[in-house]
Amino acid sequence: MISERLKKTICRELDLDDFEFEDATTAGQVPGWDSLSHVRIICAVEAEFGLRFRTMEVLRLKNVGDLQALVDARMPID
Amino acid sequence: MSFNSLGFAAFLPLVFLVFHAVREEHRWLALLVASYVFYASFGAPRLLLALLLVSVATYALGLCMARSSSSRNRRAALWAGITVNLLALGSLRYVPLLSTTGPPLPLAIGVSYYTLQAISYLLDVYAEATPAESHPGYLALYLALFPRLLQGPIERAADLLPQLRRPRPFSYDEARHGLLLFAWGLFKKVMVADSLALYVNKAYGDVHAHAGLPLLLATYGYAAQIYYDFSGYTDMALGTARLFGLRLTENFNFPYLATSIAEFWRRWHISLSRWLLDYLFMPIQIGLRRWRAAGAVLALLVTFALCGLWHGARPNFIVWGLLHGTLMSVALATAPLRRRLGRNLSLARRVSAVGLDSTRLGEAAQVFLTFNLVCFTWVFFRADTLSDALYVSTHLFSGPVALSSFLFFFGPRQLVLTVAALGLAVAAAGRDRETIAGESFRNLRPAVRWASYYALVATMLWSLATRRSEPFVYFQF
Repeated sequence: MISERLKKTICRELDLDDFEFEDATTAGQVPGWDSLSHVRIICAVEAEFGLRFRTMEVLRLKNVGDLQALVDARMPID
Repeated sequence: MSFNSLGFAAFLPLVFLVFHAVREEHRWLALLVASYVFYASFGAPRLLLALLLVSVATYALGLCMARSSSSRNRRAALWAGITVNLLALGSLRYVPLLSTTGPPLPLAIGVSYYTLQAISYLLDVYAEATPAESHPGYLALYLALFPRLLQGPIERAADLLPQLRRPRPFSYDEARHGLLLFAWGLFKKVMVADSLALYVNKAYGDVHAHAGLPLLLATYGYAAQIYYDFSGYTDMALGTARLFGLRLTENFNFPYLATSIAEFWRRWHISLSRWLLDYLFMPIQIGLRRWRAAGAVLALLVTFALCGLWHGARPNFIVWGLLHGTLMSVALATAPLRRRLGRNLSLARRVSAVGLDSTRLGEAAQVFLTFNLVCFTWVFFRADTLSDALYVSTHLFSGPVALSSFLFFFGPRQLVLTVAALGLAVAAAGRDRETIAGESFRNLRPAVRWASYYALVATMLWSLATRRSEPFVYFQF
């Protein structure tokens, strides 16, 4: 399940009004999300959640669900 | 024994018969032996030896990574594997280039392709994107498979290894499809690319003797030649693999219809650009992400300079790579501005990171601009020296413009043949290639269909036996 906060961060970075993200959504399915904008999105997510991912963690991401899982794993439990 | 040789026309049917005659569990061995015989046919035993060494090291270090629980050991095995492959690549391809005198350069065909593939395997095992292969035979075949050994495609382990393990019974449709694809590739190579090479080689062979239209035509001619040469080779590789029930990666997707340089690289030599993107550009860019746009630009320039170097240790190739890196950097730096401009003009419907989306006219203009920029970079790729390239790039529009330039290096007969072959190839590109290979001849009556097949084979053999064939352009890389 993709959180509203993650969704908004990605949409803001890609200049998208809205997009229906699912766990299995891959970068290629999202308008404008290519290899050049990928790192920009990762930076925006890091800034939004106050996190810093390791290079290998970013390289292993296969879809938006993986990104959400990475954020969840690093966020302190409320 | 190149694909466009009579020797291969005898070798391929023989391997096909042996492959389907032996038991299922021995087929990998039949293909592996055939691949080593194919590689040995180039008469350079040290190439075969290097391939064997790389295969053994890659297999052992892959398993070592998979079985080790210590991240330090895993990293050490990864770097050892990368070092072995880079040493093989460097010693066979680059060290001989350092000597400016002495005997002609020794052959190094295939090395650039299988070493990149071995590195991709090791990195995927390290990143746990693919399991380490426990069967040494399959790993050796993954690196040596003869349809893709000389010029790729560079296959990811996850795409090819599972296919090698799967039973692959004979399929008439697959074999027929594979042979038609092979024939189509041979046509593109022999009739289109080799014909264009006649013109291009004469102009680029002595660039200072020409100016203006002949150089311009030769540059556009080279853009077509290199595409039909390499995509022709790729069709032959994909067709050959299908005879053995294997599907290889597509390397081209109408690259000259790209609307930006970034898109060009998603459509040109796809297996190499994917490799560069996944294993070079992304790690560098992610590592430098604190530097924001400057980090991305540096990552682009480093990646494309190394892409140029991969094609050969000549200043031309490095300049060619840097030109592409610079064009991509400019696109990246101006992307936000162009997006705003597009929105303000109410032209943008979809947002693209590197190009304005607008009307079809705008798209056509982008294709035209991208194609011409790519052609300009080909000048540096094709010219023999950097000074030749600089001369051509500054003399494309000077000199007298005479219609006779069209016939400059061609006789009228050669011109008609070349234009007809190119026209046929371009017209066929409008149809899906899978459909062409799948549907051609299918609806003919059996007698006519088989007569057509024999005529096609006879024409191919005739063209191989009678025409002086150019080596594939990407053979040298």
